[in-house]
Amino acid sequence: MNKKIVAELELAFKDIEVNTPQDTRVEICAREEQILTVLGFLANKGYDHLALISCVDWIEEEEFELVYIITPYLQENKAYIEKGDVFLKTRIARENPEARTAIPIFANAEPYEREIHELFGVKFSGHPRLTHLLLERDYEIPPFRKDFDTRKYVKDVFDSIPVIPEEEE
Amino acid sequence: MGKKTSILSPLKALKYLFKKPKTLLYPFELKEPAMRYRGLHLNDWDKCTGCGNCADVCPNEAIEMKEIPEIEAGDGERNERPEIDYGRCCFCGLCVDICPTASLRLSRDYFHIHFDPKTFKLLAKDEKTDKEHFLPEGEYSIFKASLAHRREKYEGFSPDLEYSLFNPERVPMSQASPEERKASFVEQVKGFSAKEAQKEASRCLECKLCEEVCPAEMNISDYVRNIWDDNLEEATRDIYKTNPLPEICGRVCTHKCESACVLGNQGKPLSIRWLKRYVVDNIPLEKYRKVLGTEEIKSIDRKVAIVGAGPGGLAAAYYLRLMGYQTVIFDRLPKPGGMMRYGIPEYRLPYEALDKDIEYIKSVGVEIRCNTTVGKDVSLDDLGDKYDAVFVSTGFHNGRSTGVPGTERSGVFQAIELLRKVTMGEKIKVTEKIVVIGGGDVAMDISRTLGRLQMEEFGTVGVTVSCLETRDIMPATPEEIEEALEEGIKLYPGWGPEKIIIDNEKIKGVVMKKCLRVFDKNGRFNPEFDVEKKMEIEGSMVVEAIGQAPDFTFLSEKIKEKLTYEGRKIKTDEYGQTSLSWLFIGGDLTRGPDVINAIDTGHKAARGIDKFISARE
Amino acid sequence: MREVELYFGPQHLGMVGNFSITLKVEGDCILEATANPGFLHRGFEKLMEYRTWIQNFPMVCRINVVEPDHMEMVYAMGVEKLANIEVPERAQWIRSVYLELARVGSHLFGLWAYANMLGFDTVAQWSMYHRDLILDLFEELTGGRVYHIYIWPGGVRRDFPEGFTDRMVETLHSIGKCVPDYNDIFFNNPLFYERAHNVGKISQEEAKEWGAVGQVLRATGMPYDIRKVEPYAAYDKVDFDIPTRVEGDAYSRVLVIRDEMIESVHLIFKLLDNMPGGKVFNRSFNPFKWKVPEGEAYVRVESSRGELGLYMVSDGKDKPYRVHFRTPSYTHGLIILEKLLEGANIADVGNTMISLYVVAPEIDR
Repeated sequence: MNKKIVAELELAFKDIEVNTPQDTRVEICAREEQILTVLGFLANKGYDHLALISCVDWIEEEEFELVYIITPYLQENKAYIEKGDVFLKTRIARENPEARTAIPIFANAEPYEREIHELFGVKFSGHPRLTHLLLERDYEIPPFRKDFDTRKYVKDVFDSIPVIPEEEE
Repeated sequence: MGKKTSILSPLKALKYLFKKPKTLLYPFELKEPAMRYRGLHLNDWDKCTGCGNCADVCPNEAIEMKEIPEIEAGDGERNERPEIDYGRCCFCGLCVDICPTASLRLSRDYFHIHFDPKTFKLLAKDEKTDKEHFLPEGEYSIFKASLAHRREKYEGFSPDLEYSLFNPERVPMSQASPEERKASFVEQVKGFSAKEAQKEASRCLECKLCEEVCPAEMNISDYVRNIWDDNLEEATRDIYKTNPLPEICGRVCTHKCESACVLGNQGKPLSIRWLKRYVVDNIPLEKYRKVLGTEEIKSIDRKVAIVGAGPGGLAAAYYLRLMGYQTVIFDRLPKPGGMMRYGIPEYRLPYEALDKDIEYIKSVGVEIRCNTTVGKDVSLDDLGDKYDAVFVSTGFHNGRSTGVPGTERSGVFQAIELLRKVTMGEKIKVTEKIVVIGGGDVAMDISRTLGRLQMEEFGTVGVTVSCLETRDIMPATPEEIEEALEEGIKLYPGWGPEKIIIDNEKIKGVVMKKCLRVFDKNGRFNPEFDVEKKMEIEGSMVVEAIGQAPDFTFLSEKIKEKLTYEGRKIKTDEYGQTSLSWLFIGGDLTRGPDVINAIDTGHKAARGIDKFISARE
Repeated sequence: MREVELYFGPQHLGMVGNFSITLKVEGDCILEATANPGFLHRGFEKLMEYRTWIQNFPMVCRINVVEPDHMEMVYAMGVEKLANIEVPERAQWIRSVYLELARVGSHLFGLWAYANMLGFDTVAQWSMYHRDLILDLFEELTGGRVYHIYIWPGGVRRDFPEGFTDRMVETLHSIGKCVPDYNDIFFNNPLFYERAHNVGKISQEEAKEWGAVGQVLRATGMPYDIRKVEPYAAYDKVDFDIPTRVEGDAYSRVLVIRDEMIESVHLIFKLLDNMPGGKVFNRSFNPFKWKVPEGEAYVRVESSRGELGLYMVSDGKDKPYRVHFRTPSYTHGLIILEKLLEGANIADVGNTMISLYVVAPEIDR
């Protein structure tokens, strides 16, 4: 069913891997530099709803995996788009992770990227405000990484009285 | 666009002004919670086994198992009961759905207000064991409701077997049908395939009650988990930590673990015995040494002699050899195995399985000298001089007789002797009708063996078994009795032999008298008969299988003087060491009688011998 | 006039849930609005990595306090997809009835919040009362009033009790009888029209650009509903409509909510008429020994606020590797709210926020 989009993708981009693991899903593995072009390409073809930007911490392989999940809003052009979603995955290094922001293409990528920056420590270049979203202060290891030990954190912070450094206004 | 109405239309709401309000005048009017409400816990301490599955499944770690010294825990139980911390409990009910005995439930109470946080931890009880806190209708008051003031018979969310989180059904084991079985000695139980074994292993809840009951303290939940992980080599290592005869135990063990398995409360217990067999069936003999890490064993210059190549002797020899000792086993029969080979028929324990385990034990360096009788070819005193220690586990190879008139005739046999002869390949002359006296496993073994020999000779089975005990207290394993009946063996439980009918020098049958009771008030064996009720069972051959006795003829007077006795048994400590410090005994002589107990005594004797010899240095 | 920075929430009489908006106002007009979520961040996604697949069930429903049922459904669907578990047919129908009942309850809650904010207290109390009747039904079915923990992978936890369908139909009828009164007092009231008309207006292109889902999108004219786009449970077996409107302001959003409620009630009756028999649970796991095969899945359902999705990654062990919920209030509350409040009055802040149906626990997880 997605053969058309698969064919078009493979034609337009060399160097990316396109799989269809299930009937209704197209999986694209691309390099970090190609993300914006692929996103733009998909947005033009009618996949205009960015459902989710997620990040998975593969600590053993020392990489973060950014996953963009894109679905079509409307199935008007039924001959072309049928239901289904597109996974766009890319891997970035775990040390000093950096990526480009997707806001120029999908305006609602802003809070997702802010959250990934806060919880995983990934810097998105070009993002207008990478400020705190859910948490109130900075942590040594961003909390959603696999090497952040929640029990140790509770023991250190709540089972003893911590010293809060004086903040300069 | 919605229909716009006039600005006065909301005044229509005034019609509700005079209607009865729908508020409840709490606390004078109470709303009854629904029948399935998830409130505070109730636990039936009679049914609860202390398995701890509720504590394992709780997502908030709210349940802790507390030891209650007042409870006397039997086999398959612990004297622990769950204590619930209501500061953490989220009332999800997962503990109720996993409780294998259906003793933990949730009630419809939900009040507790108190200044003291310690009162929020509670040992869950119910009205059966705690009349003080669970009050009937008249005495209960909503104003005093708390964890210590509850309503009785107020169950809410209850367990339901159809929706439980554990699986009460077993994976069925393919077995030979009775028609196939009674005509040959082919093995009855066919074994699990890989998928079946994994599915069966996935039922285990890892509560470890089975490990506490096993006489050899095997790590059952570890190897079952390794079967589930498909890691058979690790599973073999787990088994061999405590049991060097898994092919045998996987077929004939008395599986106390299965009787203790919590899944047996509301379903069928886990097939632990057959899973053990599955593990070792799938490792070829050549790989054993590599898998178990026994390719190289360093030897030390100490020798230990072992009398009897049964399970006790083989286990002791194996563990002593792993510690480095040079071990020699002496056995008077032509092949090693003891009662396992010469007492258990082939359809239950095929000789290939037995040989596989024994071959491995031999391959690590244990020497077995068969056809050597200690007491005749070699004396025990000599062994005591030449070897650093001696372990004796000669078993119970003598049969006992009822002694009723007629048993001295030819045509009356001992079951143990017949079983030995069948194993050694001698031809037994069976007649068309045979009477077997006895109700234990040996009686079932001999009757099914003779039935198969009768099928070969005559084409029909004509064996009748009678025993003193009634069907419910027969000492044989229930599965054995079932299978014997399926193969066409007739059973008369509750009768005792009076005399053997002899006619013209030939045996014609046995006169039986009704047994009213087997044990007396003090639990001692003291059968009481009703001599008025009699019955005759026809038969031209009589086999007695009422019990076994040890053979101590190899003990010289010199040794016997030095031993202390406890009643008829020789006194030993927990390692099997007798008062004669180099002499250790085990096997059926001290515990059991069964294979797994013998293996455990062998293992403990190995440790004891090691301690004794090291202490001497 | 000076610019003043105002903090709207988290403790504010017009705020529902723990959510805060920082407003830069000049007089009565808002220049810039910044949303401040994070007061309810419990770190569920991280905590779920430390518990086995079954132990996560009592946790997953607590992510959204107002409507926990769709969370359970989406998690169960994700696990069933990864582990290839089949659900019996009756269980799928029961799940649909259960989810529709949850949708009605959740919309009544939203109506309470909205009416309260505007000052229509009578309607607010009525809808809370009717929601209480629905919570009584849930208590009878599952044992808990708010957190039900009813849907498991493999089916549902228990079957309907005796006589439950009759009681459910009776309760729904009694709620339905009050709809004309609701209409008279609130929905057709010209005061409501004046307050909500042209407030928070959003066009269809803007909605698509900013990632709107649910009523926000349906009120701009696009009939986008996951129950029709990617049917799950028993939704492809019954016929139902998706109400839409074209104006795109708060007024039409609230009217879409009302129409959806009525449609849900009709849908429940249709589902109950055709429900098949059979068992409701396929036992397929042992909580201590269950490993879900490696893979990843993205499943979505239509919750009462919009598209609720779950991205789940498993590495073949007995605990999830990564769980990420895509909640509808995320984009509504963090982007659309900020953009809609530019140039609005302070009085319209609560109006806009609750008509967008932003629920704080969903944003923070």
